[in-house]
Amino acid sequence: MKRFVVWLCVALLVVALAGCGQQAAPAEEEEPAETLEPIKIGVQGPISGQWAYEGEGFVDAVSLLAEQLNAAGGLLGREIVVIPGDDKGDPKESALVAQKMVAEGVTAVIGSYSSSCTEPASAIYDEAGIVHITPSSTATRLTEKGYPRFFRTCFLDDRQALFVSEFLRNELKFSKLALLHDNTTYAKGLADWTKLYFEERGGEVVFFDAITPGEKDFTPTLTSVKATNPEAIYFSGYFPEGGLLAKQAKDLGIDAVFMGGDACNNPEFVQIAGLEAAEGAMISTAPLPHDLEYPEAAKFIQDFKDKYKEDPTSVYTVMAADAFRIIAEAITKTESIDPEKIAAYLRNDLKDFPGITGPINYDEKGDRLGSIHLFYRIDANGQFVAYE
Amino acid sequence: MEFLLQQVINGLTIGSVYALVALGYTMIYGILRLINFAHGELFMLGSYLAFSFIASVGLVNVIPNLFLAIVVVFILSMGLVGFTGVAIERIAYKPLRHAGRLPAVVSALGVSIFMQNAVMLTYGTRYKVYPEGIIPTMAWEILGVEITLMRLIILGIAISLMFTLYFFVQKTMVGTAIRAIALDHDTSRLMGINVDSIIRLVFVIGPALGASAGIMVGLYYRQINFTMGWAYGLRAFTAAILGGIGNIPGAMIGGLLLGVAEAFGAGYVSPQWKDAIAFTILILVLIFRPTGLLGERVAEKV
Amino acid sequence: MKTKRPHAAVPPKVLYGLLLAAVLVYPNLTNRYWQDVANFFFIYVMLGLSLNLIVGYAGIFNLGHAAFYAVGAYSTAIISTRMGVPTLVLLPLAGLLAAGFAALISKPILHLRGDYLCLVTIGFGEIVRITLYSDLFGLTGGPNGILGIPRPALAGFAIRQPIHYYYLFLVFVVAYVFISKRLEDSRLGRAWLYIREDHLAAEAMGIDTNKARLLAIVLGAAGAGIAGNLYAGKMTIIAPESFVFWESVVMFCIIILGGIGSIPGVIVGAFGMSVLPEFFRGFIQWRMFVFGAAMVAMMLFRPQGLWPNPRWFKAGGAKETKPEEVAPSAS
Repeated sequence: MKRFVVWLCVALLVVALAGCGQQAAPAEEEEPAETLEPIKIGVQGPISGQWAYEGEGFVDAVSLLAEQLNAAGGLLGREIVVIPGDDKGDPKESALVAQKMVAEGVTAVIGSYSSSCTEPASAIYDEAGIVHITPSSTATRLTEKGYPRFFRTCFLDDRQALFVSEFLRNELKFSKLALLHDNTTYAKGLADWTKLYFEERGGEVVFFDAITPGEKDFTPTLTSVKATNPEAIYFSGYFPEGGLLAKQAKDLGIDAVFMGGDACNNPEFVQIAGLEAAEGAMISTAPLPHDLEYPEAAKFIQDFKDKYKEDPTSVYTVMAADAFRIIAEAITKTESIDPEKIAAYLRNDLKDFPGITGPINYDEKGDRLGSIHLFYRIDANGQFVAYE
Repeated sequence: MEFLLQQVINGLTIGSVYALVALGYTMIYGILRLINFAHGELFMLGSYLAFSFIASVGLVNVIPNLFLAIVVVFILSMGLVGFTGVAIERIAYKPLRHAGRLPAVVSALGVSIFMQNAVMLTYGTRYKVYPEGIIPTMAWEILGVEITLMRLIILGIAISLMFTLYFFVQKTMVGTAIRAIALDHDTSRLMGINVDSIIRLVFVIGPALGASAGIMVGLYYRQINFTMGWAYGLRAFTAAILGGIGNIPGAMIGGLLLGVAEAFGAGYVSPQWKDAIAFTILILVLIFRPTGLLGERVAEKV
Repeated sequence: MKTKRPHAAVPPKVLYGLLLAAVLVYPNLTNRYWQDVANFFFIYVMLGLSLNLIVGYAGIFNLGHAAFYAVGAYSTAIISTRMGVPTLVLLPLAGLLAAGFAALISKPILHLRGDYLCLVTIGFGEIVRITLYSDLFGLTGGPNGILGIPRPALAGFAIRQPIHYYYLFLVFVVAYVFISKRLEDSRLGRAWLYIREDHLAAEAMGIDTNKARLLAIVLGAAGAGIAGNLYAGKMTIIAPESFVFWESVVMFCIIILGGIGSIPGVIVGAFGMSVLPEFFRGFIQWRMFVFGAAMVAMMLFRPQGLWPNPRWFKAGGAKETKPEEVAPSAS
C-alpha cells in the first residue's frame, strides 16, 4: 500500500509538471502581430477509428492550405501552425481535445466531424473565446445556442431535404420512396427531413429504416425494400455503404432508382458499386468542383491530388478547406488574430466569399446561407453528370 | 415464400463468413481456453493482404489462368496471416500461458488495437476497393430468388473448408493430438505429444481460415476497411458461443444460424433492431442451453 | 511485496498526508486540460471500482458494464431535461435504476458460467446500445443523444469549471474507495472470496452463492449508474458513442491491468487506460498504435497486474489454476 501511495504521488507530480510546462508555453498571446509568434489553428476530428478518413481529410486539407500560405509568407507575416487533435468520434474525447486546444492557445479551431462531438467542444471554445468552425456537423441545434464565434461551412440538413423532396415529387413525379439512413446524426437528420417534406408534398414513404454503418451485407434489408416496390431508394448516409447498397440492390434485381445524399458524392461510390450498378444512380449534392466557375476550386483539387495522390475523400474535406480559407480571409482583412474581430467579420462583412464549395455568406446565427444543391446522375463511364 | 427463401439465402451467405471466422475462435479457445480478441483483426489482415496481391502486385494479371491466380492469392494471404498468428502467439500469449486466462485476454485486446492501427498506418485510413470484375458477375433467378455466382462460391468454399477441417480434426493423427490437448495439456505431454508445436499449428490454421473469410469478403463486397475486423470478430465470437465454444461443428452451425437470424430480424422486424434480435435469441438459447447448441453438457455442480 | 521494508521508516500517516495534499493541490498547479483529464480519470476509477465488485470480488466475467453506466447517464439526462429536476438530486435514482435493471436481467442468467455469461453481458450491452441509437419511444434522442443536461449545483453553487468537477468527483472517488474497502472486509466480501475460491465448498458452507453473486452485480451496477449520473452532469450532452462495447472493454482492462480484485490496482489501471493515452497525443495517428503495444507490454511485464491484491495471489507466486475459477471453462 505504501509503495502505491508513493507511486501515486510521483504520478501526480509528473502530470502536474507536464501541465505546468504546457501552461507556461502559450501564455497570453492576444497581443498584436509584432511578436511574430506563429498563429495556431486547431483541427479537431476523428483521425483514428471508423471515421478516420474524414478526420484525416480535415487535417490534410488544412495542412495543405497552411503550407501554401506559409510558403507565401504566412498571414500578417506570421507563420501558421496546424495543430491536429484526435477525438475518435467520442464526445468525451472531444471535450478533452477542446481543453487541450485551449491550453495550446489556438486562435481558431476547425472541427469536429459529427454533431455529437462538435457540441461539447463548442461550449468549451465559446467559454475560452475561440473561433470555432465545423465543416460537417449539420445538426440545427448547434447554432441555436447563440455562441457568437461558432460557424459552419456545411449546409443544414433540411435545405438538402427540401431540394430532394421537391425534385422527386415535381420533376421526377415519384410517389413511392424508400428511405434508408445509417443512424449517424447527419444521415438521420437528412432522412427525417426528407420524409417530412416528401410526405407534405403528397408522396408516400414506403420504407424507412436504418442500416448499420461498417457492415458489408445489406441484402436482408434490401429484400424487404424490394417487397415494398418503391420507385426510388434514397440513402442519406455515406458512400462506403451507399456503394454496397447500390450494388446489392442490383444483385437482388431491384429496379428502383438508387439515390444518395451528398455523403455519397465520392468517386469511390462508383468503384464500390461497380460501373454496372452505379450507372443511373443519382446523387444530390452541392455542385462538384468541376462545375464551379471558381478557379479556387479547380486549383485546390489539383493541389490536393498533387500532394496526396488522391482525390479529397468527401465533401467535408473540401468544407474543411473552406473553413480554413474564411479564417485566413478574416485574419487578413481585419489584420488581427482577435477572435472577436474575426467572428464579427465573418458574421457581418463576409459577402459572397468565393468558397471552393460555392459562395459563402452567414446569417446572424452563424449558419451558411443559401442552398445550391443539384442532382448528379452517374453515366455509363462512372462520371457524375449534372442532371437537368 | 420467395421472400422467406431469399432471406434464407441472404442469411446463409452472411453466416458462412461468420462461421469461418468463428472456427478460429473456437479452435484457439478449445486448446488454450483463450478468447482471442485479435482474431477479427487477422481476418481483416487477410482481406488487406489479398488486396495488395490483387491490386498492387497485380497477381491476377501476371498469372494467366484466373482460377490459378485466385488460388495463389488465397494461399499467399492465408500463409502470411497464419505466420502472423504464430508470431502473435509467441510474443503476446505464450509468456502469459501460466498467468491465468484474463491477462491473456487483455493482451489479446492490446494486439487487436495494435493490429488495427498498424493496418491503418500502412494502408491509410480510406476504404480500399477490390478491382471490379475479378469474379464474373453471373446471376440466376430460381423460383423468384436471386442467386449470384459469388454467393455460391462463398457458400461452397466455406462449407468445404469447414468439412476439411472437421475431418482433419476427427480423422488424422494431428487432429487427435489437437483434441487431446483440448482435454488436458499435461497428460498430452506425457503421451508424447509436442504441445507447443500443436498450439503453433492451431495458431496457423485458425487465422488462415479467418483470412480466407477476409479474402472472400473482399472479393464479394469489394469494399474493405481496417475497422471491419472488430465488427465481424464480435459476431463470429457470438456465433462460436451460440454453437458451443470449443466445438467445431458448433461454430459452423452457430455462424450459419446467426446469419439467418440477422437476415430474418432485418427482414421481418427492422434492420436497425436486427443485432438486438440476434442477441436476444442468443441469450434465450443460453438460458435454456447454458453451454450453447452443441456445447458439452457440464454436470451441474450445485 | 518484498520492497515493503525500505518505506518502513516513513510513518504511513505522513505518506497519506502527503498524498492528500498532492491530490488537493493538483488542480491548482495545472490547467483546465489536465484538470479534465483528471476528471475523466476519476470517472474511470468509479467505473473500475464498481466493475471490480463484479469481476474482481464475485468473479463474474462482465464485458457489458457500459450498459449500467448508460442506464444511469440516460435516466439522469431524460428526467432532468424533461422535468427540470437537478442532476445531483437524481443521483440516488440513477444508481437505483441501474441496480434494478441489473437485478432484472441477471436473475435468469446467473447460472451461466464463464465465457457464456461473458457473452450474455456483451449481448445486453449491445442491446442497450442499439436501443439508445434507435430513439426508443422518442426518449433517448437516437444518434443525436440528449443535450442541454443541467450542470450539477450544490446548495445554489453551480458547478461549472473543470476544477469544481475535480473536487466533486474527488469526494465520490474517496467514497467509492471507502465503500469498496468496507465491502471487501465485510461478511459479504468474505462470501465472495469463498465463492471465487471454491464455488462448491462455499455452497456447502451455507453461503447462498446465487444471492451473493446477484448482490455483487446489483451493487456494481448501482456504482456504474451513479458514475453515469456524474458523467451526464459533467458533459451536459450524452450520445450513444460513449456507451459502446469498447467502453466496457476499457473498464474490463482497467481491472485486469491494475490487478484483479485490488482497489489500488483499479486506480493504477484507470491511470493506464485513461491517462496514458493522453501522453501519447503527440503521436497523432500513431497514438492508438502505441497504446495497443503498451497494453501488451504492461501485461507481459506484470501478468498479475500492476498492483495485485495479495489475497488473489498469495501462497507463493501466481497459481495456475486460480483464474480458471473466474471464468470456469465449459468443457
